[in-house]
Amino acid sequence: MQKHNQKEHLYKLLVIGDLGVGKTSIIKRYVHQNFSPHYRATIGVDFALKVLNWDAETVVRLQLWDIAGQERFGNMTRVYYREAMGAFIVFDVTRPATFEAVTKWKEDLDSKLVLPNGKPVPTVLLANKCDQGIDVLMNNGIKMDQFCKENGFVGWFETSAKENININEASRCLVKHIIASESDPVQSVEPDIIKPHLNSSKIVSCSACFKS
Amino acid sequence: YLPANVDRRENTLQRKRKEYFAFVEQYYDSRNDENHQDTYRQIHIDIPRMSPEVLRLQPKVTEIFERILFIWAIRHPASGYVQGMNDLVTPFFVVFICEYIEEEEVENFDVSSLPEEVLQNIEADSYWCMSKLLDGIQDNYTFAQPGIQKKVKMLEELVSRIDVQVHKHLDQHEVKYLQFAFRWMNNLLMREVPLQCTIRLWDTYQSEPEGFSHFHLYVCAAFLVRWRKEILEEKDFQELLIFLQNLPTVHWGNEEISVLLAEAYRLKFAFADAPNHYKK
Repeated sequence: MQKHNQKEHLYKLLVIGDLGVGKTSIIKRYVHQNFSPHYRATIGVDFALKVLNWDAETVVRLQLWDIAGQERFGNMTRVYYREAMGAFIVFDVTRPATFEAVTKWKEDLDSKLVLPNGKPVPTVLLANKCDQGIDVLMNNGIKMDQFCKENGFVGWFETSAKENININEASRCLVKHIIASESDPVQSVEPDIIKPHLNSSKIVSCSACFKS
Repeated sequence: YLPANVDRRENTLQRKRKEYFAFVEQYYDSRNDENHQDTYRQIHIDIPRMSPEVLRLQPKVTEIFERILFIWAIRHPASGYVQGMNDLVTPFFVVFICEYIEEEEVENFDVSSLPEEVLQNIEADSYWCMSKLLDGIQDNYTFAQPGIQKKVKMLEELVSRIDVQVHKHLDQHEVKYLQFAFRWMNNLLMREVPLQCTIRLWDTYQSEPEGFSHFHLYVCAAFLVRWRKEILEEKDFQELLIFLQNLPTVHWGNEEISVLLAEAYRLKFAFADAPNHYKK
């Protein structure tokens, strides 16, 4: 039931990364709560909507823009990026080349899109397919933290669309940062560093998310 | 891809099939070379992600598609392999397969039960058909895909003339044609309608001069306007885009495609010869 003092936010989020890293799967898991190993390759852009009851007073509507992984567009990504408020960059932990492409995607994003206050959009890094057990990053958390700091990510998560690991958490983290960057346009948000543990069932926290 | 002259057909067919397998011999081993392995890997990732599901899960089919797409990509360096091309082989492949089986069987047919020689012919024929199709629309797939950008613009222009109301409605809700029609152009509507409909549609494209490049535009316009009632009922950006990206065509058959084609012909004749006719 809509309370009269309820606020509604609408955010456009981009999901980018190399082809076949699982962008579509993550979105389908997040929005439709299901998983199939056989999603068709995304052509152009696919669109999905997720509504979050953020807190008692706030509803957050997320427009998720699932952008095809093959960089063949030239300037077309610019059209898709326009007016986005946040982004996930996804790579596949079983394929190191997709991690190497992460900085390329980040540069592409930052060169084509800035927030109205001139800052880059909050971006969360997703290390997907962490259920596969061939994790090249295992025990490399410190390196990843460093990587995020150096490359301007606000956080990173090991995710699995298949096993539904950390996707909600990653999204909450990103939204938190978007809200923070909106309400406080001048102050910069410190990158938070998350060290997720696969075996822990506890919700992974994100330091800056709970500092208020 | 056969010559018009009936006498030369059999010869050409044999020659082309040989030529294809000569390509395979010449190039296919290079798929793991440094400068080609990216192409091969992309194809390899995409093949299990095409439609329809039955076919792609068969290792024999996967192998054939990988070879076809890799050889094409290597021989067309200006565009290389572009996502979506994998879908463009399927209709030809299925049509050729259907020469050997009943149409209803295609859903659960084990391709590897066909003799090797038959499969090789199907593979070569599918390659040349796809190749011929792509010859006519190469600029769809070169860098930045200028052909697609141009066609999406033309579609927008066309719709703005034939159905101002739909056009304005999309515009008012800030839906951009590129957001839904990119895939219509890139995959030639293959993703928007069931496979049997695609085959029927492309059959007409093949018999039309510039069917895949030019006539397709009128089909897209007719296709969009076909949903005018639903479009006009949707009142926000989100709902509109989700609708346009997931059009309810699951139960479409030949009849719907015939109506669509008739409408497309009507548009073509109304506009093609008189491009300024309906200008405001």
